[in-house]
Amino acid sequence: MFAATPLGAMTESGRNCRKTDVGVLYRTHRGVLCLMSGCALNEKEFFSCCQLLLQQSEHLRDGWSWEAVQGSEEGYLRKTVLRSVLADCYDAQKQTETASDSVSPVSAHPIQELQQQERTQPVVATCFHSDGIIGDDGDEDDAVCVLSEGSSHVLQYEYHILYSCSYSAPVLYFRAFTLEGRSLTLEDVWSSVHPNFRHCLQNSPLTAITQQEHPLLGQPFFMLHPCRTEEFMRPVLQEAQEQPRPVNYVLLWLSVVGPVVGLDVPLKYCTQLHLSSLQHSASDLMSSTVETGVRRFARKTCK
Amino acid sequence: MADDKDVLRDVWFGRIPTCFTLNQDEVTEREAEAYYLLLPRVSYLTLVTDKVKKHFLKVMRTEDVEEMWFEYEGTPLKWHYPIGVLFDLHASNSVLPWSITVHFKNFPDRDLLHCPSSSVIEAHFMSSIKEADALKHKSQVVNDMQKKDHKQLWMGLQNDKFDQFWAMNRKLMEYPTEEGGFRYIPFRIYQAMSDRPFIQKLFRPVSPEGNAYTLGDLLKEMYPAAITNDGEQKRYQVVIHGIEPLLETPLQWLSEHLSHPDNFLHICVVPTPSD
Repeated sequence: MFAATPLGAMTESGRNCRKTDVGVLYRTHRGVLCLMSGCALNEKEFFSCCQLLLQQSEHLRDGWSWEAVQGSEEGYLRKTVLRSVLADCYDAQKQTETASDSVSPVSAHPIQELQQQERTQPVVATCFHSDGIIGDDGDEDDAVCVLSEGSSHVLQYEYHILYSCSYSAPVLYFRAFTLEGRSLTLEDVWSSVHPNFRHCLQNSPLTAITQQEHPLLGQPFFMLHPCRTEEFMRPVLQEAQEQPRPVNYVLLWLSVVGPVVGLDVPLKYCTQLHLSSLQHSASDLMSSTVETGVRRFARKTCK
Repeated sequence: MADDKDVLRDVWFGRIPTCFTLNQDEVTEREAEAYYLLLPRVSYLTLVTDKVKKHFLKVMRTEDVEEMWFEYEGTPLKWHYPIGVLFDLHASNSVLPWSITVHFKNFPDRDLLHCPSSSVIEAHFMSSIKEADALKHKSQVVNDMQKKDHKQLWMGLQNDKFDQFWAMNRKLMEYPTEEGGFRYIPFRIYQAMSDRPFIQKLFRPVSPEGNAYTLGDLLKEMYPAAITNDGEQKRYQVVIHGIEPLLETPLQWLSEHLSHPDNFLHICVVPTPSD
């Protein structure tokens, strides 16, 4: 079913897969995908999922990089994003029209992109009603502008994806600065979370955003608490198991939690995956560049 | 065992005599006297220093007062670490009382978490307890507790009530007899001279053959440099609650008796003092 390269230990049936605690690991052309039989993720699988995400990110120029800890497999994914928050009052309807496939209330660009193109994409401003919910009854008279008219702020957001061995799940850490270097406070960060998400988060403190010490850097970051991750991943993973359909746990998780804190996960990540349809043979689908990438990846990880 | 219960009390009631001095660059209306206090090893700086704040506010104008923070010999002290850990890590071999400098300006927000209220300390404390139970019992025990039980743990710590705290905490220290111990041991290893704030990884208390792992086994796996080999001079001290337990001590026993109220075993590796 899967055209694959050897992964190491072979099962009795000789297939190119390896059984782990949480599922079966398949090596395919696109790297390693995991057919989950549970909802927990171990550290090796986290690393594999991250490397796969990294490959796709490089292809899409989405700006993710891997920061290794002292030459071990331990490390984290990292991405820096510049976002501008325009201060003009902006009514809710306009916002839903211009929002494309992303959910974030402000447009975010990987740092390289913003430097190249001035501002060709529409920048959406956040605009709050006095009760904190946007556009319920479309009553524009109640809208309150957060920033003074015409001014714009550019903020630098830094996102890290780490692995939590306590919760067997990825964790999202982030921090933000103004270009002058002032750290954003928890209040600032809350106000940049889309009002719909804010409403949900406030009622559920276990998924709330809190300030925490970064476990590898020792500096203050904001964090989305991981203790509920298994809970919300389970329905999606179970569905994938039933088909069966291999998933990239980290990508799946990121597409759920990322938008809450303004981190865009372009749909193209998934389109790439589906393109490598598992019914087709490798030679039909593979472009030479991707093949080279996979061979490089296979060389690096084959031990 | 009666002896083991005594250990629990000794750990809970450990104190560090501390001298708080106001940073000399703070603007005061008159000279500020030093303030002396016995700090509980198992508590947190921002939870037990209301009196310190009141004392220094007497000589300052309100406009010169921002969020209070503490520093020892130039190092900002992380309030979210237990006090005993901060002392063992930074000042274990210095003369008592522990001299801490108090600041009300220039909060170092690249180094320290903000602590605007005691509910932040409570959230942090409960978060540690939940994480510890995720490791010990896949969160089953802590999730079976009611909200009032969680509150009892926090109130016990906040009000220094040993019995109130342990009435609830003993549930978190139980395990199925056939297992021989917890699923994984909640621990953190701190080293003063390191970029990395701590080492925390998965480690089982019992081997697949059923043998109890020791403190030495943990260090060998997580921080081998801390172990002195035969014939070598001892470079490091491995300190828990201000003492150096024997490396042969079973890890499961340490986890049950020498954990902090947050249910973590906090282990400090500090250089041996050269006299």
